[in-house]
Amino acid sequence: MLESPTEEVTRLRGCLNDLVGIMALPALWAGGEPQQIVSTLLDALLGLLQLAFVFVRLNDPDGGPSIEMMRRSELLESTDSAREFGVALDASRGNAPLKWPSIARVSIGNADFRVASVRLGAQGEIGVVVAGCERPGFPEQTERLLLDVAANQAAMGLQHARLLSEQKRVARELDRRVAQRTAELAKANEELRNEIIERRLTEEKLRHEERELERSQAFLAEAQQLARIGSFSWRVATDEITWSEQLYRIFEFEPGLRITLERIATRVHPDDLHTLGEMVDRARRDAGDLHYEHRLLMPDGSVKYLHLLAHGAIDNDGGSVYTGAVQDVTKRRHAEESLVQARSELAQATRVTSLGVLTASIAHEVSQPLAGIVTNASTCARMLAAEPPNIEGARETVRRTIRDGNRASEVITRLRDLFRGRDLVVESVDLTETTQEVIALTLSELQRNRVILRPELDDKLPAVLADRVQLQQVILNLLRNASDAMVDIEDRSRELLIKTEPDGDDHVRLTVKDVGGGFVPQDMDKLFEAFHTTKKEGMGIGLSVSRSIIERHNGRLWATLNDGPGATFSFSIPCRPASVGAGDPVAIRTATAMDSHQVVRSL
Amino acid sequence: MTIQRSLVSVVDDDESVRESLPDLLKEFGFDARTFSSAQEFLNSDCVGKTQCLILDVAMPGMSGPDLQRELKIRHQAIPIVFITARRDENIRPRLLEQGAVECLFKPFSDTALLEALNAALRVN
Repeated sequence: MLESPTEEVTRLRGCLNDLVGIMALPALWAGGEPQQIVSTLLDALLGLLQLAFVFVRLNDPDGGPSIEMMRRSELLESTDSAREFGVALDASRGNAPLKWPSIARVSIGNADFRVASVRLGAQGEIGVVVAGCERPGFPEQTERLLLDVAANQAAMGLQHARLLSEQKRVARELDRRVAQRTAELAKANEELRNEIIERRLTEEKLRHEERELERSQAFLAEAQQLARIGSFSWRVATDEITWSEQLYRIFEFEPGLRITLERIATRVHPDDLHTLGEMVDRARRDAGDLHYEHRLLMPDGSVKYLHLLAHGAIDNDGGSVYTGAVQDVTKRRHAEESLVQARSELAQATRVTSLGVLTASIAHEVSQPLAGIVTNASTCARMLAAEPPNIEGARETVRRTIRDGNRASEVITRLRDLFRGRDLVVESVDLTETTQEVIALTLSELQRNRVILRPELDDKLPAVLADRVQLQQVILNLLRNASDAMVDIEDRSRELLIKTEPDGDDHVRLTVKDVGGGFVPQDMDKLFEAFHTTKKEGMGIGLSVSRSIIERHNGRLWATLNDGPGATFSFSIPCRPASVGAGDPVAIRTATAMDSHQVVRSL
Repeated sequence: MTIQRSLVSVVDDDESVRESLPDLLKEFGFDARTFSSAQEFLNSDCVGKTQCLILDVAMPGMSGPDLQRELKIRHQAIPIVFITARRDENIRPRLLEQGAVECLFKPFSDTALLEALNAALRVN
């Protein structure tokens, strides 16, 4: 059918206008999102071509669900959504729009439509545009052209938008990766920084600890020097000996010199070598703690006094290792010696003074009645010598003489009473334990006198009912006597044996054996007499008092001469004295010499 | 005519001395009075009449030397023979220096006492 040229011109002009409009579309959607492009395309096509509806399906390039959009004319009855429309299309045409005929008919609701499909992209890879119109001639040639051009424009726009969005995505991904990497780097950096800080702190702490250690060591060295204390360790099996600086100083050895027992022995005072020997023996024997005092004889002839304390332990190899301290107590010893001397001089002076005071008191007390006696007797003699003798007067004076004589006797009795001791309490006493207490008290004194104490104490002795303090007095006295007896012994070790043991079924015995000078057999009886002494100092009442204490306990104290050098003193006391019941502590009277001041005050 | 016997006063806190001495003094031919303390003597009427004082050194309250000083203050020049049970050799020269005629340690013999008394009365 041919149209009139005018109509033809008008139609072509309209078509041209529409084409211009479509060509202008990219300017509208430039840089926009696919949805915006499609939306603009749909609006333009619906208006320009006066369509009943226009539908676009965009394939997702990544194979995801496609995007469907549509516009419909207000005249169209259907209100189906794009999705429903798409489903309906697929149902009627098959779900491969590329295979759809480019022109077809569809009925929607009660209406029939002519439908034109246009591919987006050369192969329809972008999607498809479906335009529907009620007009029977749709699409005319120009309409087809417009649809194609519009679809082409849209495809290019969409292509561009996709590229853009891909670029953006890539850029975002890049950004994300960069950000992630940056974050990772930042984190690593932070960790590194923390590590550096930590390391610095650790180093600082180490340095601080090193400084502290150095300072402690300096302090220790200084303290050791000040206190004249050196420390050492000694591996007994191998005789490896390590000394502190101060110990080198005390022994006056070159610092760093290898220390051996032989080398130590060159400094030990010859008279104390046996102490060193005993110490080494003891360490090799049982690894018990060591506690010794001995002297050094320095090359210049001076003498140093040392106090050694060491603790033995078993190391991993099963050998014993001693760690200990050695203190130079020379100054203290000298001070102690002068103190002891001063004290003994004082004691001596006090003793002499007390004795003097005591004697004077006794003299005064006895002199008073004696004065009466002498005067009365003199008077009596004169009365009898008179002419005539005054018998009555003489008798009176004799009576008074007798009375004063009795008075003097009473004074003596009173004095004797005063010498009788105070009341004492007996208790259940373990003789071994009591002996150990005395040993603890005298150990350092014994060591100072270079006495080697050998205790043989029975720790399963039956208890005795006795006065603990008095027994200690006796034990102390026997130990001191034994130690004193050996004070001049230089040709042999000053060994002192102290032994406790059962004596028969119902007695316990303590024996103290020394290697001193012993005693003259004829003096055996005198030993226990008061005021008998062989010592320069001492009143000679120790053994006398000791014997009276033991006798108060119904026991006996005796002495024997050894087969070898020295003497042995022993006492034996019954576990239950006959005079003392088994019940509550009982007060018993015990003979002890009271202190003379007390006597004088009482007088 | 009666011969006035010389009065010898004895001051001693010890009773046996106070009991025994007067008899001996009477045997010697003296009159004797005894006092158990210095204060008792000072309070008595014998201070002016006493020709010799036998005085114990150590007594409770006023001691022998205290009484000696007190008498000096009162210008009572009574010769004093001290007796003491405390045999302290230092005390004798000190007492003699202060004017005592003699110092006897208890127990003393009758002759020693008589000699001291005679010496005292000669001073008098």
